[in-house]
Amino acid sequence: MKTKRGSGVSYAKYGYLFILPFFIVYTFFTLIPQLMTFYYSLFENYRDGLTQIGPNFVGLKNYVTLFSPDNTGSIGILKYFGNTLILWVMGAVPQVVIALLLAVFFTSYRMNLKGQQFFKTVIYMPNLIMAAAFAMLFSTLFSNVGPVKQVLLAHDLIDKSFDFLTMKVPVRVLIALMNFLMWFGNTTILLMAGIQGIDQNMFEAAEIDGANSLQVFFRVTLPLLAPILVYTVITAMIGGLQMFDVPQVLTNGKGTPNRASMTMVMYLNNFLTTSKNYGMAGAVSVVLFLVSTGLSLFVYNSLSSQYKDTAHKRDQI
Amino acid sequence: MKKLIALLLALVMVFALCACGAPKADSKTEGKVFNIYAWNEEFKGFFEKYYTVPEGVTVNWIITPSDNGAYQQKLDEALLNQASAAADDKVDLFLAEADYILKYVNSDATQDITKIGVTDFSNTYAYTVQAATDPNGVVKGVSFQCCPSALIYRRSIAQDVLGVSEPDEVQAKLDSWDKFNAVAADAKAKGYYMTASFAETYRPFSNNCTSAWVDADNKLQFDPQIEAWIAQTEDFIKNEYTLTAGIWDQEKNDQMFKDGKTMCFFGPAWYFNFCMGNAQDPEKGCSGDWAICEGPAAHFWGGTWLLAPAGTDNASMAADIMNTFINNEDVCSKLVSEENQFSNNQKVNAKFAEDPNYGNAFLGGQNDVALFSSMTSNIKWENHTIYDQLLNEGLQNNMQEFFKGQVDKETALKNFYNYVNETYPTIVTP
Repeated sequence: MKTKRGSGVSYAKYGYLFILPFFIVYTFFTLIPQLMTFYYSLFENYRDGLTQIGPNFVGLKNYVTLFSPDNTGSIGILKYFGNTLILWVMGAVPQVVIALLLAVFFTSYRMNLKGQQFFKTVIYMPNLIMAAAFAMLFSTLFSNVGPVKQVLLAHDLIDKSFDFLTMKVPVRVLIALMNFLMWFGNTTILLMAGIQGIDQNMFEAAEIDGANSLQVFFRVTLPLLAPILVYTVITAMIGGLQMFDVPQVLTNGKGTPNRASMTMVMYLNNFLTTSKNYGMAGAVSVVLFLVSTGLSLFVYNSLSSQYKDTAHKRDQI
Repeated sequence: MKKLIALLLALVMVFALCACGAPKADSKTEGKVFNIYAWNEEFKGFFEKYYTVPEGVTVNWIITPSDNGAYQQKLDEALLNQASAAADDKVDLFLAEADYILKYVNSDATQDITKIGVTDFSNTYAYTVQAATDPNGVVKGVSFQCCPSALIYRRSIAQDVLGVSEPDEVQAKLDSWDKFNAVAADAKAKGYYMTASFAETYRPFSNNCTSAWVDADNKLQFDPQIEAWIAQTEDFIKNEYTLTAGIWDQEKNDQMFKDGKTMCFFGPAWYFNFCMGNAQDPEKGCSGDWAICEGPAAHFWGGTWLLAPAGTDNASMAADIMNTFINNEDVCSKLVSEENQFSNNQKVNAKFAEDPNYGNAFLGGQNDVALFSSMTSNIKWENHTIYDQLLNEGLQNNMQEFFKGQVDKETALKNFYNYVNETYPTIVTP
């Protein structure tokens, strides 16, 4: 009988079968398009009126164009990358800080907040609204004839010439605010799950040892939360680098003023609208991909090294 | 009960199928779905009122706003897929504006309308045919309107600022840019705005350019008229003769209400009958307080052409629609009398122009058709490119930041050039 061979029946193949659908979908809808993007970025491929030009192989010409300075010496893509980063940091820092705070409050057995379900639902709510609709709402509220300006004018808080949507700082603040409002609920839920995953004994032990809440937070919660925090920051960063819908709709695709709120993906989109310039758009995508990879690795290494240290110490104990 | 309703509906359907009257033209052999691409509801309104769709044909409207070139993109995709599209999905008729009509006229995506039955252009205005004619002399479409653009002013404000309000007298005081600019200062002194948008005078200038946006080598060029517009607008904004709003902005439209403070607007017939809703508002508007005169520079603005795409399965219906809106005197007359249009039928327009009883109530009884008729001889169709819409739009958007003082002129121009490079890779910018 075959059973003679002992207990060597391998169930691993079933495991592979179960994860197969993901890999098939990933290959066709992510990996292949990604490789195609690399490939197409080496071609001249656009439309002039109704005439299709290309695809003609041009090597790295699109990348050279992308990084060559215009007649005033500035390089467009660097500016848009800077914009994206600024907008992301402005939204993400408060997002993570507030979410962390809320997560700690919600999970604290000492505070034992009433009506938690209600608050969790409410803070998650903005995420359910379509970003474009949310941005439309804000652009109406803050337009030059919108209610916010009227109210502020009526109380003499601003000058008549103050126009939210055409000024650099107000536009950026609005974009950051919208992204913050949309995503802090989501981050809170993630971090709460992270905190609840931490052994309650740790908190109790810390308290018995006489640690105050701040010490518990910085010495216990934060280090043990690091893996989830890394995940949150990296996903938020990838999302942030791809920021598009909110600034696109708020500024009607123009990135006003002086293209100061034009993000990388809005720039990419400019190539795709009228000219259908797949070569240049592909080149921007590739740059975006490389930057995301680089930044993700950096964040992963810097944040998770702390985590590794902690884990290492814990093992020693 | 449900069965009864179902039976009833089924019977109605059968009846509808059998009850075909005498169909128009030879539409029997044509497709049952007629797809029209447009960028707003203007023509749809006229079409539904004045064109009798042959029985059994369903008309689909595919409407995409033209802002940022969205309409052109939608249309391009449809036209490029025309050959492979199912018969009922093919574009059967599409609308195009003066700013980009060349792109379609000069391509194989449109067909010779004289071959499908539109042959009589004797009553249309020459420039409307010229615009729809390709370099080989093939006519690809017709316009249902003629669009000489006038200075539209508030009679009461003109009375206050100029001391006169009748079109002839106002024209005499505003017939050159120098006079116009001088009057702007007077208007300001009396607490009025001369215009309500930084781009209000763009068309009177741009339409008089002596060169196209790009030269033979596809190099971007600035006509002196465009420079003149920039200079004038800079001055107007600095002195608060105008608002900084965009040409379609709510802020500008609010100025058309009775309590608005703006004297002048520029536009053709379609502007005051379709875009000046606020002025026509029964409560807050001021219908009748308006009048038109030629203004400082003869020009035209826009216009809607109906073009026949190649490969339509409803060619004779497309031709029938075109003929209806240019040669059916009944329909053209109604466009004038009911819709305040300036039709593309010279005979009909002449009839109204000479009619002493005809007057446009919105314009305080002025015979607008007579004035527009006299202005048509000044319309020239020249210096157009396939890029006009987005270059005009892009220039205005980028210069607005300069006018508002957010960037200097050089930066605004640099941003405009970047925009051009992204939008049209073949255009060479400075």
